[in-house]
Amino acid sequence: MAAGARPTNPPPSRFVLPILGLVALGLCVGGILVLIEPHGGQNLLAAIYDALGNGAGATELRNGSGDQLVARIILAVIAVGVGVGGIWLLFLGVGGLVGMLRPAWRDRILPWVFVGPALILLATYLLYPGAATVARSFFDAKGAFTLDNYAVMTTPSMIEILRNNVIWLVVATGGSVILGLVIAGLFDRIRREALAKTFIFLPLAISLIGASVIWGFMYAWEPAGQPQIGLLNAIVTGLGGQPIPFFTTSPLNIAAEMVIMVWLQTGFAMVVLSAAIKGVSTEIIEAARLDGAGERQLFFRIIVPSIRGSIVTVTTTVAIATLKIFDIVYVTTGGRFHDDVVANRMFHEMFQFFNDGRAAALATLLFIAVLPVMYLNLRNFRRQQVER
Amino acid sequence: MANRWRATSALAIGVLMVAGACSSNATPSAPGASGSAAPSGPAAVPTVPTGYAELDKALGADKPYSGKTVDIQVQWTGGELANFQASLADFAKATGINVQVDSVPSSHETVLKSRIEGGSPPDIAQLAQPTPVLAYAAEGKVIDVSKFMDPNKLKTDYPATIGLVSANGGVWGIPYKADVKSTVWYPIKAFEAKGYKVPTTWDELIALSDKIVADGSNPWCISAGGPGDATGWQITDWIEEVVLKTKGTQYYNDWISHKVTFEDPGIKDAFDKYVGKIFFTPNYVYGGPQAIINTDQKTTMDPMFNQDMQAPKCWMQKVPTWYGPDFFPDQRASGQPSKYIVGKDVGIFPFPTIDPNQNNAEGSADTMMMLADRPEVRAVEQFLSTPQGLQRWIEAGSAISPNTATPADWYAGSYKLQVASNIVSKASGIGFDASDLMPGAVGAGTFWTQSVDWVNNDGKNTDAVLKAIDDSWPAQ
Repeated sequence: MAAGARPTNPPPSRFVLPILGLVALGLCVGGILVLIEPHGGQNLLAAIYDALGNGAGATELRNGSGDQLVARIILAVIAVGVGVGGIWLLFLGVGGLVGMLRPAWRDRILPWVFVGPALILLATYLLYPGAATVARSFFDAKGAFTLDNYAVMTTPSMIEILRNNVIWLVVATGGSVILGLVIAGLFDRIRREALAKTFIFLPLAISLIGASVIWGFMYAWEPAGQPQIGLLNAIVTGLGGQPIPFFTTSPLNIAAEMVIMVWLQTGFAMVVLSAAIKGVSTEIIEAARLDGAGERQLFFRIIVPSIRGSIVTVTTTVAIATLKIFDIVYVTTGGRFHDDVVANRMFHEMFQFFNDGRAAALATLLFIAVLPVMYLNLRNFRRQQVER
Repeated sequence: MANRWRATSALAIGVLMVAGACSSNATPSAPGASGSAAPSGPAAVPTVPTGYAELDKALGADKPYSGKTVDIQVQWTGGELANFQASLADFAKATGINVQVDSVPSSHETVLKSRIEGGSPPDIAQLAQPTPVLAYAAEGKVIDVSKFMDPNKLKTDYPATIGLVSANGGVWGIPYKADVKSTVWYPIKAFEAKGYKVPTTWDELIALSDKIVADGSNPWCISAGGPGDATGWQITDWIEEVVLKTKGTQYYNDWISHKVTFEDPGIKDAFDKYVGKIFFTPNYVYGGPQAIINTDQKTTMDPMFNQDMQAPKCWMQKVPTWYGPDFFPDQRASGQPSKYIVGKDVGIFPFPTIDPNQNNAEGSADTMMMLADRPEVRAVEQFLSTPQGLQRWIEAGSAISPNTATPADWYAGSYKLQVASNIVSKASGIGFDASDLMPGAVGAGTFWTQSVDWVNNDGKNTDAVLKAIDDSWPAQ
């Protein structure tokens, strides 16, 4: 060997990572294939058993008995591995690839790399179904193109439904926000503030359906002369009146249902507005007091305008929840006593009348109704950004 | 049309088998209560060869389908669920197939639709109405059972009902369990104590109601079927019963197909003259008309059990034959079999005739629809189509089979089933529940909601209600 000549070994580390990455990618693809196939876990384990010479175990697995639990555990491990590890690899790999580009290109593409998967998921599970729903609303139950699904919005029963939604929007939202604001203002300086607020906030933890069942008992009706199990009717009959069937009397039933919604949402409004009120700078309040402002003037002239952004946020959030209202109406009356709402009607059209087109039209209508509220929310958000 | 005519006039044939052995034996021997009867004697499986390839294979000694799972989604719960599971138990043991029953009591149709449309349907699903079965079949989601079950045998076994689930050359389900709806439940001993006689005509029914009112009580407990979303179906049953008994089965079938509209005088009379008379005559209904739409269907008959049934607060309830002791207040509360025996304490009489020439009865049937095609699923569907598929339920005294091959002596010893069979055998015609056959938007929609509205308005807005139902009929 010639003196001074060194054996040249190309440093292997440059290729190790990419090769490992490719191997891992292959494993992920294989994992996804196993996950997609029905009985993938069982077949994989059966194949492993076959390779290990355990033919009997393999046959058992394929027949639906044998080591099913092991197969399921393998499937779970693959799912977690692909889900967590695969995504991590994806970001690592694509980030590495983009990192090798020229700086100008890199800066342009790298943000898209990180946002890309989320955008794809949003497009698949939000944009595509949304567009498909709007498209579906133009076809009738047999598949023919029609504008009928929108034309029926003018029938008296639909007008009643739309009227009910407007009532819900105005009264339930207004009630929750105003009540939340008043309570937030009143609780601002009492002694056991946290305890009091907890009681108001607690209903928010209950689902809409649970709340409807609870209030169903509050409003329960028994024939006159029988013991009343509903609290309200017990009071009414105790004072000498006739029991009132709250849920079957229109329009009282809409009010009764809205009470449930207000009961749930007031806590949310109160918490947000209370935090906002506490955020108003004390200097302004002191200055106002020095100028001789009374408590009421202080509240309505100083505090409320200062927290306007929060009020708008709360109002839009509650408004969207109110526009979508379904659970309360479905559980209490099924919408059968002139208190039907759009979401409830959409449910019936879809699942009982097998009229997907009309259900899609109602969903589209709801979507259009929510758009202005969303716009208000965004505008408010942007204004808050500017103010900061 | 021929389908409907055959179906409604021949549900009688399906259940008439029951009449043959039972008509002379009127004394209830065993306690005819529902709830699982102890299986006695041979296992409730058909003898091989059954004529069905997959079923014969499944019952073979080598149990080729052993270990496989077949899942069935049903809306039955409580006593009905227990009886269904009992009917499957011997089959599961004999074949080794793991038959898994998913009970989804509320929102069964919603869950089912989501599963079907989402691509992961149950293997078999139970539906109480034929209309959605045909709707799913039109979408191509249902397996045509005539491909592996002889359609001629099906026609022979189910002359009354197979037509309702057949369309476009295919058979899309197996009628499994039938119910008679023309039944009124009453407290036997209290009637005897007061000297009341079971009415057989409409005039006698009204006279009895007036007498009970005069004696200071309310004759009827009525519930619309609520609460919430289910409200309304019982009102439609009342209307259908009256239409059948005043206008006959041909008119009834024309009404289902919309040849006769809701605004026809015959339907209007059913509302105003007959059902309205029961619902709105002062003091007829316990709690008044408001109670009809505010009472839960589970607790409707509770006032009848007042003071151990010695001082009932209401005396009659019209409810189908699937009703039973698991609805009685003491069994509901304790979970133990009720101490009130159907046949000794609680009786059933046929809904009285109105027009003596129109002694028709109303019935309905559940369908088992197949959604996945595998050999073991075929075996289960074939088993459900044999009489043994319902045997334990029949023996528990709670089910009637639409299969004409069902041995008549299975019904012996059950007071309720004997009453049902008498109704069917004496009926001149049978009508299948109309709201189950009308298009969904009406049959599960406006017919219910408008009937509820009619009761909520004390029956004063009949014309508006009938017009609204007619207007909602989907364009064909």
